[in-house]
Amino acid sequence: MQQHMPLDAVLMIIAIGAYVISALALLGYFFSREEWLKHLGIPLAIAGAVAQVAQLVARWEITHIWPLLNLYGSLSLFSVVSVVIFMYFAFRYKLWFAGGFVVGLAAVFLAYATTWYEGAMPAVPSLQSYWAKIHVPLVVASYGAFMVAFVVSAMYLLKYYYERRLATAPAPANLAMAGGGSSATLQTGEMRVRLDTPNIAAAAQAGNTTAYWFNTMPSLAQLDILIYRIVAVGLPLLTLGIITGAMWAHEAWGAYWQWDPKETAALFSWIVYAIYMHLHTRSAWRGVRSAWISAVGFLTIMFCYFGVNLWISGLHSYKM
Amino acid sequence: MTAVRSYYEDFVRTFSNVLFAVCLLLIWGLMTLAGVIVQQGKDPSDYFGMYAAPVARMILRLNVDNIYHTPYYVGMIGLILVSLTVCTFKRVIPARLPALRPVKIDKIPLNVSVDMAGDEASVRARVEQFFRKRGWQVRSREFDGAEWTFADKHNWARRGVLIAHIGFAIIAAGTTIYWAKGFSGDSALLVGQTIDVPHRSATLRLNSFHYKIEPIMTKSGMVYQPIDYVSNVTVVGKDGIPKTETLRVNHPIDIDGALFYQSSYGFAMKFSVTHDGTRSAALSDKTYFTGDTFTLPGSQRQIQVMQFVPTVDRQTGQPSADPRVNDPAVALAVTEGGQTAGAALVPMKTWIDVGNGWRVTPEQYLMVSGLQYRYDPGVPLVGIGAFVLLAGLVISFYFLPARLFVRVTPLRSRHPELVEGCTVGIAAMTVKGYDIFETQFSELIADLRKHLAPASPATALTPAEATT
Ligand code: HEM
Repeated sequence: MQQHMPLDAVLMIIAIGAYVISALALLGYFFSREEWLKHLGIPLAIAGAVAQVAQLVARWEITHIWPLLNLYGSLSLFSVVSVVIFMYFAFRYKLWFAGGFVVGLAAVFLAYATTWYEGAMPAVPSLQSYWAKIHVPLVVASYGAFMVAFVVSAMYLLKYYYERRLATAPAPANLAMAGGGSSATLQTGEMRVRLDTPNIAAAAQAGNTTAYWFNTMPSLAQLDILIYRIVAVGLPLLTLGIITGAMWAHEAWGAYWQWDPKETAALFSWIVYAIYMHLHTRSAWRGVRSAWISAVGFLTIMFCYFGVNLWISGLHSYKM
Repeated sequence: MTAVRSYYEDFVRTFSNVLFAVCLLLIWGLMTLAGVIVQQGKDPSDYFGMYAAPVARMILRLNVDNIYHTPYYVGMIGLILVSLTVCTFKRVIPARLPALRPVKIDKIPLNVSVDMAGDEASVRARVEQFFRKRGWQVRSREFDGAEWTFADKHNWARRGVLIAHIGFAIIAAGTTIYWAKGFSGDSALLVGQTIDVPHRSATLRLNSFHYKIEPIMTKSGMVYQPIDYVSNVTVVGKDGIPKTETLRVNHPIDIDGALFYQSSYGFAMKFSVTHDGTRSAALSDKTYFTGDTFTLPGSQRQIQVMQFVPTVDRQTGQPSADPRVNDPAVALAVTEGGQTAGAALVPMKTWIDVGNGWRVTPEQYLMVSGLQYRYDPGVPLVGIGAFVLLAGLVISFYFLPARLFVRVTPLRSRHPELVEGCTVGIAAMTVKGYDIFETQFSELIADLRKHLAPASPATALTPAEATT
């Protein structure tokens, strides 16, 4: 007798496939700036996200178990949220150049999620709560936002250090504009548009392909603002996630804060992003330093997400 | 006196410095991380098992094994609060709520000058009207005979930081209330047992306890998944009226303000202990919990209740992974003068000879419900603080306070050939620098040009065109 693949498994395969092709198309767009690649990548990324949401709904329908209570479900939500948040920023601020990396990471996380599939498992008593439907999506959504911020931070850092390299390169390779500083101001009408990577701009004009890629990205100042705006989505979500987690803990375990490893790891990430936010209020720290903190912030998120789940046990390993 | 003053000034300068605050936050973060990496509240010997001896010694000496309750962890949060307070008053309030004052427009990176037709008063009126229509709060002030117009967007949101900082301080206050006035603890209740509720004139009786565990076949094998733990209790509160209540995980009960939670479960044992066939009432009538020991009278021999095993694997005779009670047994250890003399897994209702004519028979197992209780009068304050903090974050992040400085000067001072015309100098400042407002500013100015100065450059201005 032939066995049919369950609907949720089919949707999962569609989602991963769509993300992989979309990531490749958007990476192609990053390197070539061929518009058709962007127009191929965007709908595929949307299709992948839709398939993923449908997969989560299908799994809920089939098993009647809230699908986000294990790493399989939450990683799946993480990747779809990253794509959705990215899409929002991309449509609003033309962030498509980063799409290949974000969607690529989403595909990797989703593929990794499948390795955690254990079949339908009813929730342990502490997870049988309406808070699971509020707290988990909020925290995972904040992780998604931080992932997008991480990708943009990485691009900031690459562009920044590439500019520095060109600035310090010997004369023929250093095609810096007259004055050669790291920041110049272009007059367009009466408005000032900051050109903060003059060496990249000059090298791009001289036909350097890598410089061309970087030059088509927004300016460092604009990337910095983008990172700030994305962290500004992630941090309130993480704060609300921690608050709702505390409310849940108050109901399930008798104290809103138990210094459980998962809670404290989330607090650690929250502190790192609070540091980011404070340093970003200082003009001297805006830019490369705050981009580093945002990048490190995401590593702390990964530690909180995987490190604590896999290496450190605690109440959040849900034995009750 | 001057020395005190200078110390005070140093203190204020240091504690209101954002980089100092960031250092404090960083140290707080690293201490928090240390508590994640190093398991908390373990037995000292466990750390020597987990780490090299010098590291284990350092962990214990620095109290990293219980870091969140050390004076230096709590002190660090105290320092953060001091810094936050000083900084809020010395820096945040003055910087975020600046008075209206004139500026050198062309020295501010976001600036523009637009030439417009009309006399000074009418141009100013049109410009003010333009900003007002777009939701800017417009105010005029005179400084040294010069008229300035100030237009603010989201001026109220300048208080966002203040709100976030207040929220953090409220949370800290709420947690302090628990330390001062709250209490918590746990108790293990046998079915049928009644306890006094701590700090309350109330009692709680455990009538029954049930649990449900389901075997589920997963990809990596059989998993016994807990599904439910339920305690049926009778509570007599300060009103003296007995009430029957059901206690489940995620569904605590409130006894005169103290909350009781279902937190764990376990088993207690009753044994029949005989010596040469005669039952020892003293040892047999007692209830034993895991870890309890009893000494056989007239000897150095001790029996320790190691563990209740709900199901023994019939094939291997070893404890199985199944936590449901099918073929129960008890693991007992016998020690003589502190030395282990032997250990055995003893099925229920079967006896074991422990020497000198003594026999121990596990007779009965009893369910134990593990409850946690907590009275925390700081919870409402912490809740309020959390939402105030969140509101502060949202205000700070999503409402960018921006101020436009507008100065209208008659063109005739520069171009006497013109009949009437003015230069409108506009500069913009935000609380988050200039880059973040650049696009909005250029759009705003483009809009302003479109509506108020369609005919630039300035030299093209005539009084007729000024009527547009
Ligand atoms: C060590 C204690 C702290 C000090 C001294 C401090 C100080 C400051 C200062 C000076 C600013 C910048 C104000 C400006 O440039 O106008 C600021 C911004 C801010 N602070 Fe704090 N802060 C502290 C802790 C906290 C904490 C624990 C939070 C909670 C999340 C917080 C939330 C904020 C927010 C939301 C902003 C606005 C950031 C933005 O607009 O991008 N602060 N803080």
